[in-house]
Amino acid sequence: MEYPIEIENLVKDYRGGFRAVDALTLKVPKHTFLGFLGPNGAGKTTTIKVLTNMLVATSGKASLNGIDVMTNPKMALADVGAVVETPEFYPYLTPNETLEYLGRLRGMNMPDIQRRSKEVLDVVKMTEWQDKRIGKFSKGMKQRLAIAQALLHEPSVIILDEPTSGLDPRGMFEMREVLRELKKGDYTVFMSSHLMNEVQEVCSDVALINRGKLLKTGSVETLLSEVRMKKIEVRTTKKMEPADFINVGKIPGVQGINALGENAFSLDFNGGDDEQARLLLDMQGAGLKIVTFKESGVALESLYMSLIKDSR
Amino acid sequence: MADIYNIKKDLKVEVPSDVDQVFLVAKYDVLKHIRSKRLMAIGVILGLILVLITYLGTYNSTYQHDVAGFVGNYTGFVNTLIVIGVTLFAGDAIVSEFQGRTGYLLFPNPVKKSSLFAGKFLASVGIMSLVIVVYYLVAIVIGLVYTGSFTELSIYSMLLAILYGTAATGVAFLISSVMKTSTASLVLTFFMLFMILTLVASVFSLSGIKPTGELTFEGGTVSDIMQNPYPVDTVSNISMGAGGNGFVLHSFHADVGSAVIIEMAWIAVTFTLGFVAFKRREMVS
Repeated sequence: MEYPIEIENLVKDYRGGFRAVDALTLKVPKHTFLGFLGPNGAGKTTTIKVLTNMLVATSGKASLNGIDVMTNPKMALADVGAVVETPEFYPYLTPNETLEYLGRLRGMNMPDIQRRSKEVLDVVKMTEWQDKRIGKFSKGMKQRLAIAQALLHEPSVIILDEPTSGLDPRGMFEMREVLRELKKGDYTVFMSSHLMNEVQEVCSDVALINRGKLLKTGSVETLLSEVRMKKIEVRTTKKMEPADFINVGKIPGVQGINALGENAFSLDFNGGDDEQARLLLDMQGAGLKIVTFKESGVALESLYMSLIKDSR
Repeated sequence: MADIYNIKKDLKVEVPSDVDQVFLVAKYDVLKHIRSKRLMAIGVILGLILVLITYLGTYNSTYQHDVAGFVGNYTGFVNTLIVIGVTLFAGDAIVSEFQGRTGYLLFPNPVKKSSLFAGKFLASVGIMSLVIVVYYLVAIVIGLVYTGSFTELSIYSMLLAILYGTAATGVAFLISSVMKTSTASLVLTFFMLFMILTLVASVFSLSGIKPTGELTFEGGTVSDIMQNPYPVDTVSNISMGAGGNGFVLHSFHADVGSAVIIEMAWIAVTFTLGFVAFKRREMVS
């Protein structure tokens, strides 16, 4: 199966005439980790809900592993693990019982369920809570458990809807570790997000969507190479004086400067890698003692913002 | 940690049949009922009813040699118990998946909505039937101890109660499939079975029309069957004083055979309509 996820001319209209997804066509190649990017209300979750049989499309087609989700959802979802929004769990069950229930629904045998439950709960750091009832779990714990259940049956396709949403910084960090590990595996992952840096960090491919329409798709690397505008964060040892900002502003490619504190600022920089290397040398030459010099993950954001502007 | 990500090493995964999934869903829904406070609540209500009826029934020695009459004291309260039980075990069975967002966990699985619906229905009927059977067993045992005899009418009554409970569960599932919130669904289920349908039957009776087909009317067979001979329809002229004013009072009783067929029809219709509503319902919010 060259494209485990295929969406063709998908349209979803809600009652009242609101069109959430508008003739969306997208193919996700096997073993790619695709970030499905868009602002709130862009149609990301609606698309995912159609893919996971929670919404019925107005028209168009959606298939998983070559099986139409609309006509044969049972078989289409057989080899899929999904986390849609932040699911609630049955409060009267423990994580182990929940995984047993879902594992059996998916056709796993008990020895496999027990083995895999241990493994996936370990991955999401929930082993300690495996036999406690879920009723009182925090949102972060439930989100981690949601990831665990999605991985339980070793599906070839994983669909994640903003998996770091609602997590605290530590939870987000741990979740990204899980996502990075997924990227190394043989999965085809379709992950929606509105966090550009997250997508840039963990995804191999990206699809940008706004108002239900696909704006652009391709590998992260290719898209980034199209973007020369970058945001660079700089921290210095001493307090930045007005004259320092003026000097930095004169360096070729610097489009704007934003102070982030007494000895930190960010630059809007237009240039390639060579120009960026030159920028560092020029700033040092201007007398700045630089502690950190890093590109923040917003190159994709720049591209995205320009595409949104064009699509309006 | 790395092995977790290497897929399909030695895992055998074969999606179960629809029927297997129905029983699986039912099993975990029964577990929900067993662990919920609702089962405890119905247990307390059942205990109170049994204690009260036993006290009043044995206090009055009228039924000392009439086992059917004695057990009939208990069957008079079964329909109320069923309404409470159905409200608790089926009133929000479907809507809670949407409102409580557990549908986000359950629906993206390789399981048909028909299996989910049937499994949940089976669980509600199962737990409801268990409550009914326990109630009758206690009533039969007390009747045996008190009167020294047993009547098979109590078994027929129990089977009719289970059938009525199943039909009432169908009504609850239909309501639960279309309502937006659990609370509204629970309240409407209770009032529908306890008041609205009963009121409809009363209006028909007052008009002199036998309310054949109305669910709670047909459910009256649960207690009627304990009477020997089986009660027949009667018409009484009630006089209101010397002026000659009065009214005609009709007392109708459902026939057992037709009640069985009509209640089965209620099960089929409400189950089908409920499933259609559930299938069409989308996980929007």
